[in-house]
Amino acid sequence: MPRSGIVRFTLALATVALVAALAVGAAGASSAKRTNGSVSGAGSTFVAPLVSLWINAVSSIGINFSYSAIGSGGGVAAITNKQVDLGMSDAPLTQFSPTCTTCVQIPWALAGTAVMYRLDGVKNHLHLTGQVLAKIYMGQITNWSDPAIAALNSGVNLPNKAITVVHRSDSSGTSYNFTDFLSHVSSAWKSQVGTGTAVAWPAGIGGKGSSGVSSLVHSTNGGIGYADAEYAHKAHLAMFSMKNRAGKFVFANLKSIKAASVLDTKPAADGSLSIVNPPKSSKYANAYPICTYTYVDVQKSSGNAATLKKFLNWAITTGQTYGPKIFFVPLPASVVKFDKKQIAKIK
Amino acid sequence: MSSLDTTNAVARRPFPGRRARFGDVLLQGVAGLAALGATFLVGLIVYKIVQGSKLSLSTFGLGFVTHIAWNPVAGHLDFGAGAFLFGTAVTSVGALILATPLALAVALFLSELSPNWLRGPVTALVETLAAIPSVLIGLWGILVLGPFLLNHVDPALHSALGFIPLFGPATYASNVFTAIVVLTIMILPIIASISRELFLGVPGELKEGALALGLTRWEMVRGVVFPYARGGVAAAMILGFGRAIGEAIAVQQVIGGFTGTHLLWNLFSPGDTIGSKIAANYQGSQTGLELSSLVYLALILLVFSLIVNVVAQVIVRRSARRLGTSA
Repeated sequence: MPRSGIVRFTLALATVALVAALAVGAAGASSAKRTNGSVSGAGSTFVAPLVSLWINAVSSIGINFSYSAIGSGGGVAAITNKQVDLGMSDAPLTQFSPTCTTCVQIPWALAGTAVMYRLDGVKNHLHLTGQVLAKIYMGQITNWSDPAIAALNSGVNLPNKAITVVHRSDSSGTSYNFTDFLSHVSSAWKSQVGTGTAVAWPAGIGGKGSSGVSSLVHSTNGGIGYADAEYAHKAHLAMFSMKNRAGKFVFANLKSIKAASVLDTKPAADGSLSIVNPPKSSKYANAYPICTYTYVDVQKSSGNAATLKKFLNWAITTGQTYGPKIFFVPLPASVVKFDKKQIAKIK
Repeated sequence: MSSLDTTNAVARRPFPGRRARFGDVLLQGVAGLAALGATFLVGLIVYKIVQGSKLSLSTFGLGFVTHIAWNPVAGHLDFGAGAFLFGTAVTSVGALILATPLALAVALFLSELSPNWLRGPVTALVETLAAIPSVLIGLWGILVLGPFLLNHVDPALHSALGFIPLFGPATYASNVFTAIVVLTIMILPIIASISRELFLGVPGELKEGALALGLTRWEMVRGVVFPYARGGVAAAMILGFGRAIGEAIAVQQVIGGFTGTHLLWNLFSPGDTIGSKIAANYQGSQTGLELSSLVYLALILLVFSLIVNVVAQVIVRRSARRLGTSA
């Protein structure tokens, strides 16, 4: 009888659906109940390559670490609403509204942003200053043969070629680092555009993610874009040597990013720490000027404090050794010391 | 209404006189619950979207819809949907203009002109096109289509039609026109396969009669097939249009993205649509107002889609009525 067959089939289907729903519900309930050795985090995609290396590593010290790279804004929202143990953000908490007022902010990783370009027929590594870069990104310098670029690259035969400016179309910590740098070196940029994970770009086109930016630069003769140092190195594109305040032109690599982190200054009381465009000093002679700390934000009062402290103390020490092969420079001792004090505030 | 139609009461209980069986009651319960659940879900989505956009709604009001601005930097905060609404309209109308004649040609070929042995495989392939995930089409758009259009098609269009501001000079592979072509590829199979079904549904006697009267194939298609299927084709176009309006990922991959501070009249410049803007910035928004403004964009998209849906239904109904009176 086909009709009762259909009924039976529907019944079976409904049963399966019901069982599945119950199972999902039960799974949800059990994961909500926090077991002692687990840490959940969400946020920055910038720090994701480093953090994903940690997931396996911390399981050996008995911590079950999970992480979703949902973006800095999402990370701050998640920690503010206590949906996760750790919120990860490339911009300091003060940049967000609403923000987490009951959190400690811990700078826990350090990386740099490289400026890439494609200019066919020019073999040399071109030099650039932040001021000229700002003018390019504001659409005021539009040709490679512009005297401002030529003056920095004497002896190089620059072609009469339009500059194609490429920026991120999505919100990103790399953009935060990049615009923070431009705001530091150009008052016009600071007042007209400003600093942020996304800004109202005065010129150019957008690409999604570092891959989108680098593929646009790759396919456009005359293109300029930016990406985190690891991505830029992997993309096999030419990179500018950027002039630092000590007057030297430096290339984004581990050594120059490390040089930028040798700080006299300690993090601010709230834990924020900007190291773009380090001061003019022989100490920073080899410092790359576009570097940034990225932060982990934790609620001061947490039911999971013991595990969190264990994890964070591991992350700022042993965890740092995983960094160099993906262009994350280990934290300098002064910052580790500061971070330990911050971690101690978690109760 | 024919005599074969049954009343609702009989249809619900296939064996009159017998008491409703447990299975039937269960079926009704499960099906009813599913329908109720779907309705509830739509309600919930609308509620959440309205609630999420409240902050932006109260800050910018209805002016947001046409206001052209997007500045997420603290101290400069200013948001509006104007540029993105414009981008959405340009890309989806453009895709519809390109896709409709192509889709009708495909449908005609498959229903009227193709040799029998070719019909099956080509139909299957056209339907496969609809099944390709949009992210794949977007990737192909970045790697293959964009550079190809930039090097071969965009300059040709610019030199032939450059006197129209829409066809300005092309500098970037990621541009509005690339997005239009990607959307065209995505909506073409939708319009084509629905139209093919409609063309196949045209009664054979009508077609044979027309041919018997000495009409050529084209005259038969124009005089019989198109008028018969007109309403359905319009509905298919609107379905495709709806798909084009809402597509976010593939568009975001190829359209470039811009800041939304002015309207872009050049098809060969990068742009943004409502969908691509939401996809690009939802994850990283720094302020509650930006997040709320993105949800406000979603609300506009929802209303836009609703209008499109209603218009499609009106057209289908009207053409069905017209067909009913003429037959």
